[in-house]
Order: sequence, then structure tokens, then C-alpha cells
Amino acid sequence: MNSFAERFSTTSATAQMRIAQAAAADEEEFDGAMWGSDAGFGSLAKGVPSFSVPAVADPTSFLRLHTDDHADPNCRIKIKHGTTTLAFRFQGGVIVAVDSRATAGSYIASGTVKKVIEINPYLLGTMAGGAADCQYWETYLGMHCRLHELRNRERISVSAASKYLSNLVYGYKGMGLSMGTMICGWDKTGPAVFYVDSDGTRLKGDLFSVGSGSTHAYGVLDQGYRWDLTDEEAQELGRRSIYAAGHRDAYSGNTCNLYHVKEDGWKFIGNYDISQMHYDGPGDVPGAPGGGYGYDIRVEGRNSSNPPAVAAAA
Amino acid sequence: MPNMISLAQPQQRQFNPYTENGGTILAIAGADFSVIAGDTRQSEGYSIQTRYAPKVFRLTDKAVLAVNGFAADGNMFVKKVRQRLEWYRHAHAKDMPLRAIARLIQTMLYARRFFPFYVYNILGGIEEDGTGAVYSFDPVGSYEREACRAAGAAQSLVQPFLDNQIYFKNQTPAPGTSHPVHLPLSTVLALVIDSFTSATERHIEVGDGLEMYVVLSKGSTAFQSLGAIHGIQELTATEDGERVFVIRRELKKD
Amino acid sequence: MHHTKPLCPKPPSNASTMASPSIYTSPGFNFTNELRNNFMAEKGLPLPKATSTGTTIVGCLFKDGIILGADTRATEGPIVADKNCEKIHYITESIRCCGAGTAADTEFTTALISSNMELHALSIGRKPRVVTAMTMLKQMLFRNQGRIGAALVLGGVDSTGPHLFTIHPHGSTDKLPYVTMGSGSLAAMAVFESGWQPNMERAAALDLVKAAISAGIFNDLGSGSNIDACIITESQTDMLRNVEMPNPRVQKERGYTFRRGTTAWKTESVRDLVVKEEITFVGGDAMDTT
Repeated sequence: MNSFAERFSTTSATAQMRIAQAAAADEEEFDGAMWGSDAGFGSLAKGVPSFSVPAVADPTSFLRLHTDDHADPNCRIKIKHGTTTLAFRFQGGVIVAVDSRATAGSYIASGTVKKVIEINPYLLGTMAGGAADCQYWETYLGMHCRLHELRNRERISVSAASKYLSNLVYGYKGMGLSMGTMICGWDKTGPAVFYVDSDGTRLKGDLFSVGSGSTHAYGVLDQGYRWDLTDEEAQELGRRSIYAAGHRDAYSGNTCNLYHVKEDGWKFIGNYDISQMHYDGPGDVPGAPGGGYGYDIRVEGRNSSNPPAVAAAA
Repeated sequence: MPNMISLAQPQQRQFNPYTENGGTILAIAGADFSVIAGDTRQSEGYSIQTRYAPKVFRLTDKAVLAVNGFAADGNMFVKKVRQRLEWYRHAHAKDMPLRAIARLIQTMLYARRFFPFYVYNILGGIEEDGTGAVYSFDPVGSYEREACRAAGAAQSLVQPFLDNQIYFKNQTPAPGTSHPVHLPLSTVLALVIDSFTSATERHIEVGDGLEMYVVLSKGSTAFQSLGAIHGIQELTATEDGERVFVIRRELKKD
Repeated sequence: MHHTKPLCPKPPSNASTMASPSIYTSPGFNFTNELRNNFMAEKGLPLPKATSTGTTIVGCLFKDGIILGADTRATEGPIVADKNCEKIHYITESIRCCGAGTAADTEFTTALISSNMELHALSIGRKPRVVTAMTMLKQMLFRNQGRIGAALVLGGVDSTGPHLFTIHPHGSTDKLPYVTMGSGSLAAMAVFESGWQPNMERAAALDLVKAAISAGIFNDLGSGSNIDACIITESQTDMLRNVEMPNPRVQKERGYTFRRGTTAWKTESVRDLVVKEEITFVGGDAMDTT
């Protein structure tokens, strides 16, 4: 890395370590903001917040030792993983759909997680990977989007917001952050979706799905996607894709949360139970074909043990 | 002899500041109250360190925090949260609202993202609108508001029971009826007690004592239907606001 | 901690006469999956957990014989698998054996030795001795190099008097006047060390055994529930199953019965389980049944 940037950057990984280790060395450093609220500016007064780091030679491997449940299922601190999230751009805006399951190993830690983070009325972020990483940094992003509005008298573009987040997490590259997110919104350029992850990848695109169930979701999404989808069709496609992932991926499921971003900001469309969608369908919503997505077509006269009437006659 | 530690090769040592101290915590939110409970056993391996180590703490008259996991981290974390709430009181001359405490806990946990507190937190209490609330956290600060949550050693025993009895999972209502949205305090307390007596029977790290904190919304009448509960103690510090009570029970000690 | 991680063992079969060791012909344990299991363990996949009696078992000598004691908790990791299991196993009428360690191993080892002791008794035509059982057990455990996870307290009375042994999973044995084993052994031994005396009366010795087991039940998380005891004297053996129950189940606050129709269903079909049979006679006249 550029040594000049390294020396003056407050967000780079080495700078963070320097700050944190210095703080750990001389007792505890109390931020002035901790004593009160500094009129609400407390957390912004000193730039990026600082982090405690264990006083060991390699803090990153220390963290991995205690938190990486892929390498060691018996590690003590379980960080929640497992997800299906998707977002796509179309003629009528952006559809964002996610599941609501959080798993810690084989245990379903929660079935009611909000994996869409409402950054502000025009921006949504999705959550895949470490729940805390996504929640914290996207909330933090929200604060900076607001500052951008105050400084520039206009809303931040989705591109700028996603780049801000991308640069932020890139500063911690290799330290163990885990997030795969889609920043979705509407700006001067129209509907926009950006994929950002903790490796530093940032991609602009029309259609993304992230998480362990993404392959299942892509299957449904790709065969049903067109730019000129109507609003109702698009919403149904999002719902149906999350259903497919929830049905087939053990680490995704419970319910589907659906959002639609239009010119005047995002709107929450609804919460749909995945097993209810399997048996009875999403209920009375525009775009739904009526009836269950899975159960009926598997048992009612259209399977091998009970073949359809036409085939039986032939 | 096989597996003798050889001094010819370098030995790697790992810095391991964490242990697991067992126990279980649980919180349930009602319409205008909240119940936060935990057992009082603290163990390490097969040994009981103490039969009375509280895991549930009154923060303010409207907020109670339960901590579970590594006891040393838990106690230090509660101490730091209380310190921040004290400073807030000095700056603003009022108690911090519950949702603000929840966000505070998130930032405090996340500040240790690279050296985590090995603590599972459950925050229960009363929101500014007078409703009962439960917030649950993971060790690095992701959080969510819920109606009920169990954490700790017997989490996987208690949570499915709560899902069935509180959220009525896998229970279809009788035709023409629907499940209640909020349960009365008497039912909630009975479910909490049964959760812990059952967890004590089947999990070796749960037992000895049970502490149940009840936080009542301002003017709540939830207690009147209960009559006298034995061993109840009021911990409320301020007049005409939310009220906090603690109820203690014995659990099996084997 | 793998103190006893085995080197790759040879299958105990006569490989020279057979192309591959058959599980049907080779005697003793079958090791065909050993290599695979070690490989899987190395890959990070843990072997399935065996039910273990993380246990308190004790035995002590008194004036007229031996008293054995045990708790009744069986665990699978931190979960209580059985709240009232039996850990005092029958060897012969006047020899009994407490087992700690892997539940299946203690169960089968004691059953096998019990069976062999009976055959041995029939063959010699006399009451068998405790040392015989002890030798059989230690030789079996030593032969298996610690892979049978049985830690035993063996006690009984024979023609040579009362005897009390501990047998460790690798086959070593001790002969002592008072012994404890299992995860609660330290708690129980503390009681014995402070309370045991030579030539104790039956009632006092039983109280001491109960106190030792209680110490395990209340202070060791691997032990719990009830106390079993077994008093063996020259003339008779008294198996005192659940001699004390210090941890009764408490009454639940609520009842948990479910309304009929609680479980959702998709279709309903009712079938008559009585098969209706209709007899059609083929050829000839119907049999005259009048």
C-alpha cells in the first residue's frame, strides 16, 4: 500500500491496529462522547470508531480461532451465517427479497431476522454473512449518507453510497469481517443495485443473489427475469425465488421479506411464511397465481404415483 | 512412549482467554410487561463454581439485562453498560430509553469486533410507548427485537418450547378462533418456571436457583390478577414510572 | 486431548489365510472402519457421541462385607440421557460391579464376565471368587488397550472373605478398603477419607456410602438423580435400588395437553382396518354344513 496513504489514513487496517494497541497500552481511552451525547455528534466527532484488539502477535488468527465455525464446529463464539438474499433492477424499480433465517451450525438461531437494512427512505442494504458486520456498517453508512445530504444539499447516489461502504470494509480486509450485501436504491440515474462484499468487491448490475441459497434463487430468478416485468410480476418473482431457496436450502427459510424501491423511495410489500407459501401460497397478493407453490403440484394428480388424468388415459 | 511432548520441536501456545460458564437465560415480552429470567448456577467443566451467580441485572426501572456465556466477560460488560447509563443520566437527567440502550449495547459489543466479549445478551423492558420488549444480541452486536428468546446452555431445549407455547408454532387454532397475540403475566411466569425446571432436569449445567425479573409498564395492572406471589421483591427506584420486581425460586441442585 | 490416540491397529484376523478380513469369520471386534473413522476424525468430523455415565461410583469395606454405591445419571455431553439408570451390575450372586465410562462398554463387559463367571462356577462346582472376576475383567480390558472405555469398581464376598477392586480402562487394578471412580470420584473420596474407619457397622457404612454418592450427585455435574447401593455379605446380597431419592421431579406449573385437531393436515382418509372377506366356491357343490 502507498506509504503516504498508510501514514495518514485513519481507516486502514494498520492504522486501526495502531490506534487500538495504543489505547490498550495506556489503560482505557474514553471517548468524550461516551460521557454524554455531544449533542448527537459524539460518534462522528472522531471519524471512524476505534476497535479493541487482543494483545497478541496475530489478532486475525486469534479471532478466527474463536469464531470460525467452518473450520472448527466447536469454536465458542458462534457467528450467525446462512442466508438467501436477492435484488434485481427492472422497468418498475428495484425488487429486494430476503429470507429470515439465522443459523449457528445446525441450530436455527432465529427465524425472524430482518435481513433488509433500511439505510434511509431511498436506500436499502441486504444482509448476508456476519449479521453484526452488516447491521453495524450499514447503519454507519446511513449516518454518512445523511451527512452527505447536509453537506451537498442533495441525496447521495447509490453508486457513491456503495463505494463508501466498499472503501470502509476494504480498510479492514483480512481482519475477519464477513459481509455480502446489495445496496439498492433510486437516484438521479434511476433504479440501481450494487453488490459489495467484505473482500472489497463492488459490482454494478441488474440482478444479484447472495448467500448459501443463492443458487436455488438464481434458478427461479433467471428463468423468470425480464426488464419489462410489471410491478406485480416482479414482486411475485422475488417471492417465488426466495421460496425456492427456502424450500431447498437448509440454511435458509422461515419467512420472506419483500421490498420494492421506486422513484419515491422504498416500500415494504410484505412478509410471507415459506411453508405457508408451499402449501397455500402467499395469500391474496397481486401477481400470485393462487394456490400453493409446491405441495399441490407435487401431490394432486401430477406425480408418478398419482399421474394426471390425461396421461393415465393414454 | 508415544505422544510424549518433544522438546526438540518448537511448541505452539494459543492465547485462550475464554471459557464457557454454562447456565441459561430467557426473556418474554407481554403487552405491557416483560419477564427476564436466568438460573444462578455458574460452572466450568463438571464443577460448580458457585450456586448463586446472578446472570440477570436491573439496569434502570425500565430495563433489565441478562448475560450468558463467559461470566467474567459478562460481568465486565454489565459494569460498562451501567457506567454508560450513569453518564447518560448525568448528561440528560433521565434514564436512557430501552431502544437506545439496545443500540448502545450493539455499539459496545461491536467495538470489540476483533476481540469479542464472549457474551450472549438479552435485554428486556418497557419501550417509550409502554409496550413490553425483548432485544436479543449475538456476541458481536447484531440485534433484533423479539417477543421471546432463550440463550445459553439449554437454549436448544427451551427455545422450541417457547416457539410452541408463545408463538403457537405447529399449533392450529380451533376452527373459528385465533391464537392470542399477548399472553397474561400469570401464564408467562408459569411458562418461565416450567422452562427452567425442565431445563434443569435435562441439562447438567442448569440448576440451583432461578431469578425472574418482571418489568411493569407505567400503570400496568398485570400484577393484580396474580394475588400474592411468595418471595417477590420490588426493586423500583423512582416514583410513578415503570416498576421492577424480582421473584426467586429454587431449582434442583444435582 | 488425545492421550490414547491409537496407532493404526492391525485387524485381528488371520490375514495370511484370507484375502480380506471378513466380519463374519474373524472373532472379536471388527476394525474394518478404523482407518476411515480416523481419517474422518482428522477431517474434523467428530465420531458419534456414546452415552457416558459421567458418574460417581464407590465401594467400601465394612464389618460384614462390602457396600457398593452409585448415582443414576447417564449423560450424552451436557444432556441428561437417563435420569434413573442402573450402574451396579450383576456378576454373580455375591459379586457385583459398578461401571463408569462408556455406558455400552460397562454394560457389555460386565454381562460377558458375568456369563463367563457362571460357566466357570459350573465347571469348578464351587462359588467363584472375586479375584477371578477381577482377572477376567483386567485381561479383557488390557487386551483391548483402553479402547473399551470401562472404569469399574468390583466388589464381593467369597470363600476367602470380602474383596474390593478398582479396574481402569487399560487394565490396571487396585485392591483397597474404600474406593471411588468416575467424574465424581474426588467428591466421593473426600467423604471416605474423612469418614471411613475399619470394621464399621452396616448402618454406619451404608450412611457413609450414601454421603459419598450424595457428594458426587450435588457437586459433580456428571452425576445426579438417585442413590443405588448394594450390600454384599457372606450370607446374602441386598440390592438397594434407589435407596435414596434426593432429587424428585417438581410439579409443573401448567398442563401441556393439546386439543384434538392441533396438528395441521392436508387430506383426510378413513379406512376400515377390518378386511371384509367374501368366499367364492369354485367347482363342486358347496360343503354341507347343516
